[in-house]
Amino acid sequence: MPIRLLSLPAPDLQYALNCMDICDLIAFSLCSKQTKNLVKSSNRKIQLIFADIDEKCIRINIWAKNQKQKDESIFFNFYDSWLEIDRHRRKITFWTKQEFTRSDWIAHFMNIFKVSMIQRLVIGNVRLSYLDTVKQIIPKCQTLLIREHCSNNVARMTFLKLSPIVVDTVEVETNIFDKENDLSKFLTLNLRSAIFHDWLNPFELKLEDLLTLNIVNLIFGATIITESELNRFLKLWLKKNHGFYRPKDIKLFFERKLNREEVLRGIKHEIAGYEARLKRRDGKELEVYIAANCICFKFL
Amino acid sequence: MSSTEQGTSSAAPAEPTTAPESAAAPEVPESFYYVHGKDKVVHKVSAGALQHSALIHGMISNLGYTEEQAKANPFPFENIDGDILQMVVDWCNQHKGKPTPPEDTNLPKQKEKLFDLVLAVNYLEIKELLTYCCKQVAMMVKGKSPEEIREIWMIPTDAEDEAAEKEAKKRAGKEAAGETAAAAGDAK
Repeated sequence: MPIRLLSLPAPDLQYALNCMDICDLIAFSLCSKQTKNLVKSSNRKIQLIFADIDEKCIRINIWAKNQKQKDESIFFNFYDSWLEIDRHRRKITFWTKQEFTRSDWIAHFMNIFKVSMIQRLVIGNVRLSYLDTVKQIIPKCQTLLIREHCSNNVARMTFLKLSPIVVDTVEVETNIFDKENDLSKFLTLNLRSAIFHDWLNPFELKLEDLLTLNIVNLIFGATIITESELNRFLKLWLKKNHGFYRPKDIKLFFERKLNREEVLRGIKHEIAGYEARLKRRDGKELEVYIAANCICFKFL
Repeated sequence: MSSTEQGTSSAAPAEPTTAPESAAAPEVPESFYYVHGKDKVVHKVSAGALQHSALIHGMISNLGYTEEQAKANPFPFENIDGDILQMVVDWCNQHKGKPTPPEDTNLPKQKEKLFDLVLAVNYLEIKELLTYCCKQVAMMVKGKSPEEIREIWMIPTDAEDEAAEKEAKKRAGKEAAGETAAAAGDAK
């Protein structure tokens, strides 16, 4: 026997909505514009952990409190006109909404839960033209991860097009730099953090790349750069009195063992624990940590 | 369960039978009040049980009835169906003087009555029962798809909402025009 839920007094209706599990609440929000607005005004909190975007579907993972006030992780796979819900890989449910595209699903979720930012946006192999759509539907994300199976062209364009929506870190699992591409175009972008890792196809860095960096925290692995270039980088940094250098933390990982003496040759430094501490005339300091296969620069 | 008796008039109810006493008998004789719904069946309920209802509790406090006056003037709740009021009275009696548990297994299971029960409980301001009812309402759609929810909760489609809105606007326009015409007539 049906009941006319929307005829209930507003506080009772709101309380009934508060008693609903997150999946039921989402289903309710899809009934009409009115139910969508009701869910929105219920101010239910969720965490949108990640959105994984590829050609076939958009997969998102949310965390929300269930009726027993325990955190529950739920996966949603969005396709055009239907979605698939995966709760603990136990029960798969399908819902349809004819007029909805993948973009509409995600926009709906972000709208009803008033989420302005996705914690982790993962880009798989998508068409270049689809990147503009991604930018439209995901206005902001904490971290952008570009997966290793992206083609180089897509990975590069994703990096350039989507970096502006990233609040914190861009992570790239493939070497997007080739000889024709100007590395500085990527490294001079105004980013908070960037992580590049590809151990099958190491990143070739040059002294100029390190000097023109504009990324605050940077990690490269595996890196190809000689000790003498690292040594010159340190010497140039020491000479550059009162010059602005934006990076604060650079970590370079290598497939080979680094020669610490060659890196620090001819450079006046103090030993502070495992670090070599360099001091410029203008008072700026740099800590250099050199381990077997990595070097870290910390600009104080 | 409270006893009930068919009353012919709310002003002169027949003598109702006594409601069951709570496990611990009170030292002071308990006062009783009388309520009836749409069906005029009068229910005798103890003041302790009625404390669950903020509305009735407020009425009792303000009126300061004696037992005789209370008997002669049952509280009329014409907007509540008799069977719904019976459910409410039963619940109040069952939970008289007891802390309400987080889950209520005594809640009526009849889903068809749930909507009316929510409205009645909301009107009578019985907070705990309202909480249980709302939970029960939410449970009705557990694991259901949007289409199923639309059916269970009779949710209109966007098109139906728009049509209703248009209709309401049209009606409001007509009423406003009628009022203007009447005002013009009066002026003449």
